Amino acid sequence: MIPVLLILVPLLTGLTSFFLKNERTVRSWALFASLVTLAVSLLGLTLLKDQQYLFFQAEWMASLNSSFSVRLDGMGQILCLLNAVAFPLIFISTWRSNYPKANNFFALMLLAQAGMMGVFLAMDALLFYFFWELALIPAYFLCSQWGGPKRIQVTFKFFIYTFVGSLLMLVGILYIYFHTKDTSFDIASFYKASLTAKEQTWLFWLLFIAFAIKMPIFPFHTWQPDTYEQSPTATTMVLSGVMVKMGVFGVLRWLLPVLPDASWAWGDSVSTMAVAGMIYASLIAIRQDDLKRLVAYSSIAHIGLMCLTIFSVNNIGMQGVMIQMFNHGINIIGLWIVIELIERQFGTRKISELGGLAQKAPAMAILFVVIALANIALPLTNAFVGEFLMFTGIFTSTVTKYNIWFTVLAGLCIILAAIYTLNLIRKVFYGNTVELTVNTSDIKLNEKLALGIIVVLIFWAGIYSQPFLDVTKNVSTDVTNSILDKPEINKYLRK
Amino acid sequence: MNALILSAVLGVIMMFSGVMLKQKSAVRNIAITGLFLLLVVNILEMSGMSFFRINTAGMMHFDRFSLLFNCIVFFSTFVYLLLSARDIEKTGNYYAEYFTLIFFILCGVILVSSFQSLLILFLGIEIISIPLYILTGSDKKNLKSNEASLKYFLLGAFSTGLMLMGIALIYGSVGSFSTAQINMTEKPGALMIAGMILLLFSMSFKVSAAPFHFWTPDVYDGAPTVFTSFMATIVKVAAFIAFIRLFGEAFGNLQPQWQIWIALITAATLFIGNITAVFQQSVKRMLAYSSIAQAGFMLLSLYAMNADAKEGLLLYSAAYSLATIGIFAVLIKMNDYTFDGFNGLAKYQPLLAATTTIFLLSLAGIPLTAGFISKFYMLKAAVATGRHLWLVIFAVLMAAVSVYYYFRVIQAMYFKEGQPGIITTSPVFKYTLVVLAALIIILGIFPNLLLNWYYF
Amino acid sequence: MIYLLQGNLSVSDSGSYLPVAIQVLFVVGLIALLIFLTHILGPKRKTADKLQSFASGIESHGDARQPMAIKYFLTAILFVLFDVEVIFFYPYAVIFKELGWNGFLAVLMFVGFFLCGFIYILKKGALKWED
Repeated sequence: MIPVLLILVPLLTGLTSFFLKNERTVRSWALFASLVTLAVSLLGLTLLKDQQYLFFQAEWMASLNSSFSVRLDGMGQILCLLNAVAFPLIFISTWRSNYPKANNFFALMLLAQAGMMGVFLAMDALLFYFFWELALIPAYFLCSQWGGPKRIQVTFKFFIYTFVGSLLMLVGILYIYFHTKDTSFDIASFYKASLTAKEQTWLFWLLFIAFAIKMPIFPFHTWQPDTYEQSPTATTMVLSGVMVKMGVFGVLRWLLPVLPDASWAWGDSVSTMAVAGMIYASLIAIRQDDLKRLVAYSSIAHIGLMCLTIFSVNNIGMQGVMIQMFNHGINIIGLWIVIELIERQFGTRKISELGGLAQKAPAMAILFVVIALANIALPLTNAFVGEFLMFTGIFTSTVTKYNIWFTVLAGLCIILAAIYTLNLIRKVFYGNTVELTVNTSDIKLNEKLALGIIVVLIFWAGIYSQPFLDVTKNVSTDVTNSILDKPEINKYLRK
Repeated sequence: MNALILSAVLGVIMMFSGVMLKQKSAVRNIAITGLFLLLVVNILEMSGMSFFRINTAGMMHFDRFSLLFNCIVFFSTFVYLLLSARDIEKTGNYYAEYFTLIFFILCGVILVSSFQSLLILFLGIEIISIPLYILTGSDKKNLKSNEASLKYFLLGAFSTGLMLMGIALIYGSVGSFSTAQINMTEKPGALMIAGMILLLFSMSFKVSAAPFHFWTPDVYDGAPTVFTSFMATIVKVAAFIAFIRLFGEAFGNLQPQWQIWIALITAATLFIGNITAVFQQSVKRMLAYSSIAQAGFMLLSLYAMNADAKEGLLLYSAAYSLATIGIFAVLIKMNDYTFDGFNGLAKYQPLLAATTTIFLLSLAGIPLTAGFISKFYMLKAAVATGRHLWLVIFAVLMAAVSVYYYFRVIQAMYFKEGQPGIITTSPVFKYTLVVLAALIIILGIFPNLLLNWYYF
Repeated sequence: MIYLLQGNLSVSDSGSYLPVAIQVLFVVGLIALLIFLTHILGPKRKTADKLQSFASGIESHGDARQPMAIKYFLTAILFVLFDVEVIFFYPYAVIFKELGWNGFLAVLMFVGFFLCGFIYILKKGALKWED
């Protein structure tokens, strides 16, 4: 029942939001809805974690052998939790932002949440595809209605990119569907599909391009900085905090276990792309003057690291990726909240035009510095746990010969991340105030609350991450073993 | 058979209603009621209540496929009349005759959806085409309408000639018009193949598949918009049913011979329809090219020619017709047919904008709409053949291109400022649009609501 | 009830196409020959008068596109329409007896439709010559 509620609550509240006229009512309604979703998600993690509560199946398109089957497994738990935590944070932190036609805005936000929940829960390929697209449509409308001046073209680029990817994925799904033993869209049948190595190769690329565009992985990333820059910040938080995880999640659930041979054979190519993207994005981030673009490029680097780890196929690394998905989502939402505050107050996002904020707004400075340090994975913060596991995973990877190279290059990116993040802190928050920032006021209660929660989460996950490790243990082993246990791959592994 | 006879009689009734009745609204109501009756008798026939027992000597056969298709057509026309009947009246002086011609066209649609003899096919195609030539030119004072009508007539007559030639050649080689007989030919000779190719060409013309599509944009653009709506939807899907029946039942055994041809035509149609639609400035013309592009997708069912393809085509006809009728109904109300004419529609007419968005999303094939699930069936049918996968990948890439021009309308409606000039709309119009949009979404989630009729 | 094309059609063998082929050859050959011959044999005197369009040796004058009453066309086309439909009675007359009452009813139906059309054009005033 839990997974159905996770989808239905945001879906129904989203639909009702369309009809609420008063801005304050709809705002409260959306916050209430997101809190209910969070409660349901927490309930699934704690009290009702028996399989009977976490699984639901109903007949849907019987003639196609496709059913409405949703399940919360370990990875789903983590991502649904992220999704459920993100929205209250977003709603609280943007409580004071004004959106014309607020009812549509909040309705679309909740619909996007419902779509993403569906993606993380679906255990049927057709259902997965449905939700995959469904999450995209509200995002499209959100960005192009409430975004910056170039929003229409930029969002359209984003939409076309993603749509091409997902259509290619659809072809791939159909092909696999016809090669499952019982011609079914069920995930278990997909895992047992009989495909030759040659078929797997091109199917791999059909699916991977869809996921790579979503993540995004170099060279499919060009939509991302523009879209993040032009979208309204609340939507950017959704996109970067939760939606990009759909790509990573897709690779973990629908690519590696379905096409193990090709994933292994093309692992090095993908890893090379990921590493190249990481370095490239980090170097660009150093030169950025626009706060939003800086964070956007830093996000590409972080996601690149996750992708690299996934294709190192290592149990510890996989666990790291799953934890890091959550952590990265939390951290980046924190960064966006601060950027949104700065932009709303000063009307600019240019680093060169800002300075000395710490003198006037100490609370904001402290909270931001914590989040920024988490972003570069300082020990005690949540990202440290994730990245440590991921680096361990890459270094001890048995599927690739170049594990040391990958580790070194990825480590280089951590240093680069420190450069641009610390530079950002130094220029924006320290030094002397400039003309623009003389009359800075500190953050309000709602923003303190949102950032405070994030900081608490950062420390909690950084110091006591055992619950996360427990939740993800089984599923990461399954994913890893789906590749490593195949006899035809096993004999080539480095011992 | 019920519907065939009733539609012919209704045509005559409409003819006389124009002479006898002076009130426009009375004529309109007769037409709408008549269409509803048509739908009812057709559903009755589906549940086994046939009012007429006529020996057609094996020239026609009303199976579930054709009956269900006819249901879809009647329902679409019913919706079409509910939305646009008033606009039909405004086209010219002969308002009753326009309804008459529509009923006669439906007569032809029934013929082509249930033929078992090439003669009936020919008859049906002609009965569809000739009233259409008149409807295309019904805006007599408009030069473009006249041009469209003449162009359509000349090219249509030419393609009909090709079809007759093809039928004659096939008759020459088989000695029969019956599709079953033709399909039993052991070794097809040169005559047979030549006839088949001619039929392929002329049918491609009727469904406006590239490279036989050149008439479509001009005719659709020139014809009065209400009739473009009818032509681009109901008539087009009817031609597709004829196409798939012809190639499935008469040339089914020759599939290896024509499959690659159809594949090439499909690819060309998809490419030309989509790419050219991108460059259009007028929404009406864009929809003309989009109808070519959609025809490309429907051709996939012909290419695949399996059980999925038939289901898919039924679904596709419903999804495509309903969505396109909806968009055209809104377009008719606009003063300015360019993309800029839609600027700011969402602000002034939120309901029209929202429903139009659903129709456009359906045409673009976004999940949760009937358009997606029908495209899905087409792709599924094509993948199931296991050959020519490049065609499937090409098709989805072109579907992505189609998003560009459909979304331009959405962008204009929602994200651009402007004051669209719009003629006022009646509550019935709005309710019908809402019901239509809801129907498209319901079909998109539960396609079996429609497809179950096919089996039970 | 409705009878159409009930005759027995035997599948013909390829030999029976010979006359068709001969006729096709003959037609094409004759046309080609005629064109060729007129080109070769005909005298060619290209004067200005000769190249002008003319009818029956009379010099052309005035505009060929003179307006004519549209009513004339309407009447003419209706005449052709109804005239052609009457042709259907000939085959019926030949097999009048064989078809019996069923056939009679069918033809009666046909005439009924026919009559409907006639009443319609009368009502529409298509045959009214003066307004």
